[in-house]
Amino acid sequence: MQVSIKWLHDYIDFNETSDELADKLTMAGIPVENVVHAGEGLEKVVTGKVESIERHPDSDHMFITQMNVGQPELVQVVTGAQNVKQGDIVPVAMIGAKLPNGLKISKGKLRGVPSNGMLCSADELKMDLTTLTDEQKDGIYILPADTEIGIPAKDALGLDDDILEFELTANRGDCFSVFGLVREIAVLTGNTPKWPEIKANEDDEASTADMIKIGIEANDLCSRFSARVLKNVKIMESPEWMQVRLENAGIRAINNIVDVTNFVMVELGQPMHAYDYDQIAGKSLTARRAVAGENLHTLDDSSRIAKGEELVIADSEKPAGLAGIMGGLESEVTENTTTVVLEAAAFNGASIRRTARSCGLRSEASGRFERGVDETQTMRALDRAAQLLQDMGACTVTKGIVDVYPVEKEPVSVDFTPEQINKRLGTDIPAEMMVKILESLDFKCEADGKGGYHVSVPSWRNDVTFMEDLSEEVARIYGFDNIQSTTPEGTMVQGVQSPLQDFIDHIKITLTHIGLSEELSFSFSNFDVLDKMLIPADSPLRNAIPLMNPFVEEAQLVRTSLLASVIENAVRNLSRKNEDIRLYDVAPVFYPKSLPLTELPDEVVKVAGFMCGRRNPVGWNTGDDMIDFYDAKGVVEELLARRNITRYTVEAGEYTAMHPGKTALFKKGKDIIAAVGELHPQVAENFGITKKAYIFEMDVATLMKYSSAKFNFDVLPKYPAVFRDLAILVDKDVNASDIEKTIIGNGGKYFKRAVLFDLYTGKQIDAGKKSVAFTMLFQSNDKTLTDEEVDESFNKIVAAVEKKFDAELRK
Amino acid sequence: MESKIEQLRQEAAKAIKDVAGTLNDLNDIRVKYLGKKGELTSILRGMGQLSAEDRPRIGQIVNEARQQLEQLIAEKNQELKAKEMAKRLASEKIDVTLPGRPTNHGHIHPLTVTLMQIKNIFMRMGFSVEEGPEIEKDYYNFEALNLPKDHPARDMQDSFYITEDILMRSQTSPVQARTMEAHEPNSPIRMIAPGRVYRRDDYDATHSPMFTQIEGMVIDKNISFSDLKGTLEDFLRQIFNKDVKVRLRPSFFPFTEPSTEVDISCVMCKGQGCRVCKGTGWLEILGAGMIHPNVLKMSGYDPSKVSGFAFGMGVERITMLKYGIDDLRLFYDNDIRLLEQF
Repeated sequence: MQVSIKWLHDYIDFNETSDELADKLTMAGIPVENVVHAGEGLEKVVTGKVESIERHPDSDHMFITQMNVGQPELVQVVTGAQNVKQGDIVPVAMIGAKLPNGLKISKGKLRGVPSNGMLCSADELKMDLTTLTDEQKDGIYILPADTEIGIPAKDALGLDDDILEFELTANRGDCFSVFGLVREIAVLTGNTPKWPEIKANEDDEASTADMIKIGIEANDLCSRFSARVLKNVKIMESPEWMQVRLENAGIRAINNIVDVTNFVMVELGQPMHAYDYDQIAGKSLTARRAVAGENLHTLDDSSRIAKGEELVIADSEKPAGLAGIMGGLESEVTENTTTVVLEAAAFNGASIRRTARSCGLRSEASGRFERGVDETQTMRALDRAAQLLQDMGACTVTKGIVDVYPVEKEPVSVDFTPEQINKRLGTDIPAEMMVKILESLDFKCEADGKGGYHVSVPSWRNDVTFMEDLSEEVARIYGFDNIQSTTPEGTMVQGVQSPLQDFIDHIKITLTHIGLSEELSFSFSNFDVLDKMLIPADSPLRNAIPLMNPFVEEAQLVRTSLLASVIENAVRNLSRKNEDIRLYDVAPVFYPKSLPLTELPDEVVKVAGFMCGRRNPVGWNTGDDMIDFYDAKGVVEELLARRNITRYTVEAGEYTAMHPGKTALFKKGKDIIAAVGELHPQVAENFGITKKAYIFEMDVATLMKYSSAKFNFDVLPKYPAVFRDLAILVDKDVNASDIEKTIIGNGGKYFKRAVLFDLYTGKQIDAGKKSVAFTMLFQSNDKTLTDEEVDESFNKIVAAVEKKFDAELRK
Repeated sequence: MESKIEQLRQEAAKAIKDVAGTLNDLNDIRVKYLGKKGELTSILRGMGQLSAEDRPRIGQIVNEARQQLEQLIAEKNQELKAKEMAKRLASEKIDVTLPGRPTNHGHIHPLTVTLMQIKNIFMRMGFSVEEGPEIEKDYYNFEALNLPKDHPARDMQDSFYITEDILMRSQTSPVQARTMEAHEPNSPIRMIAPGRVYRRDDYDATHSPMFTQIEGMVIDKNISFSDLKGTLEDFLRQIFNKDVKVRLRPSFFPFTEPSTEVDISCVMCKGQGCRVCKGTGWLEILGAGMIHPNVLKMSGYDPSKVSGFAFGMGVERITMLKYGIDDLRLFYDNDIRLLEQF
């Protein structure tokens, strides 16, 4: 909705500037999004007549004009425009002008010919292009032939008026009209509106009721349908003042009939439609539901097949228009029209909204119906339209209005007490002030004798039905600024977050400490990504939930794999030459219980990570080591340790997108608590990753299940530790973790721990063998151990390892 | 005898003084004169041959000479040690202007940084942190919030639907209804609900199909609009700075009445008017209002017994304003050169 200041001034006086008025309205809940200072930058643009025009001698596209700008001397202007001819009156920017687009006009020469100004296009004058024809938009803007010469162009163009652009809220349908805004301005300025007298002169002998039958079949979708008939209609241009008003409201002028219906819509907020009477079959109009399959041929010359739920206005044969959205092509008012039926009706907002959306037709009219129109003023609107057309001498008006209004709207009544409103607002506003505010907004307040009030809500305020709504009216006029700031009192409540949230925060902090950075990714995916991830056809990860209306094809599914998201982000970084990557993400994936979805899916929070590139940041002393499998595994181990998850087993296994020979599964019983591995070379190739990368994934709920909050610190030992090293040769495929298990199992009571400190295969030992070395720590809490005691434990370990792995002790 | 001792003493004193080499050289001299078989020591040893009356006198002279030499050796020892240390220090000099060895550390995503700050502020005010599903029923996302089907305000949020009744939640507000349902009717609530929300918006500098919202709600006896104002002013001054000005404008949300948009004075230009605030000096930062009686009723609360306020804000917008980030897409682009700055 946009409206010009002059239109508002027609009905109310105010001294505020456009900006001040915009601010007042905004702070009262009528948001003005923008103030267009029309004519700004056009101070030195005047109307000029092309007295002569000739080709530029040195240019094949420029012309030299001699312009009459109302001064004694002609002004020479060189132009590149192709649409100007002798006798045209056009806007001329004179020397010193600074146009709205920032262009400064100065004296100059174009290919050697002096030019003392510029002829302007509509765009250069910042005219509202939506209201112009293509012809008017292209090239220099040609003014009407009777335009006075030498006057400011902004006067000639009607650009001498500021425009307020509103971003109105969905509840204030009443403010989608000049009258509605004038009512608000009256309250905010304290001035009295100057309402026009609305009266149609029924100067035609014919009776409207005899000429047309009006009916409502769909009572739930149409609550009132009123119509007037105009005879002896002369189709012509509407007067200049009306065209300017409409153009400043963003509506293109078409002809007097259409312009008047639009004018009344903007002025009163009541959408209207005009039918060519002679094209109405059976001389009857009925508001009914469309019959499924029926053809809807609308003004834009497109045909739609009715679904059967749309509200249409039909004559005796066919739909003559989509109610409240767009008229029908057959009954359109044309230059041959002589008799017109004017419609003013109240349609169901929800239904209009549904139809407008499904047809992709949103109009000024449908927008108003969606928010709700004041159904008490249909007859006023018809009278106003008839009056305006009569004033132009464009028609005669038949006797009476045909008005079908099955259930007259009862005024809404709301009760309130000043205490209720003050309690809700936290204010101390006196009762008299509340009543004054409400009455200024045309709410009629009647004291109930017990300190409260019965309030009768004006017909145009469909949004007010509760005491709470009245509290808003009081507050917005009283001023939100005038309400004090307080702190809620009442019951003390504990500020906590859930254990899951705490756990997730801890995971993020730990991973960040270890050197990984957090990423946040979209919850969307697509089948191509699942293919690239080598996810088998029968995997549950293929069961991703599809969106009904994705915004792009690449985001048609809700993701089932967080690893995929992490890989995609790594790929983006690699493509930008960010070579060293350590990223993690903590976010949910979505597993449907069944597809199509009948109940909410499981939202499962995962942790996923991606690592590749250098082990250490680039530096002169940091080496060139690259991240390997064990870096990634170390991250997982550290995270588990920090969350107090111990006594898990680690085994080789397989996992999504991981190299089957380089995947470790961390397990507690049957539960996989973590998977870490090298990115599968095929997956890497599919994503275009050319270097070795390592990934991991964990399930947060599973981690939480095994995370022990209980933490006991170990007493620091009083007696010295004794170290013994064990180096053995074993077959290459013996798992180090199995040897470690055997050591732990045979260590005896003084054994504390063993650390694998060397692993070697190569020249000095047999092929097929590897050398493994552990350093073991023995310690007692009660005494200093003797060599004999340690030797006993050590020898037991050696014997067990030798036996179990056929190990050879290296001396 | 005395002259021999004196000669030895002078000879030794000179030798000590002349040591230019190492501590070993000094030790050699000590051994030569004062060692078990040293020259001065052997005089003491030969004392038996002296007469009884000479013995104490000669003994005293030798001991005095010995003490003096030991003193000289100790001094020389100090001197040599200092020299050696100086030499060592000089030889160990390094180029301290070379860069230090870089450490490996990660970074929390800027949106999480802001989210953690917001959670902390509200938790200190006694708000609990609640959560709800991201794939949500239309009922909770809209209907329980006084937004029946075909309500024009649904247009404000074009949503991703999965079925007619299930969608990617378009706001965190459904957590309001879920939290009320989980409580005894009319029991007090102070909560915030952060989370991802989804809208069918274009992906541009200020819009994204997925973004992060924080919803908040306070319900108790006697909660008023002035409490909403005080609470949000307090929050905004903590998350931005204590001098920030706060302005409430009347607005419309179907789930609150009265409703308000909350603006802060522009953090870029301090309210003078700039590109970021489009010259107005104000930035729209959150939406809020007194909870609509229908919303309370639908979740089993009695609007005649309790009242409450609710608010919602975008974490991206707050983060952009805090750090002067001008493109929302940077958050989901995850370029490590951006992440490493936080």
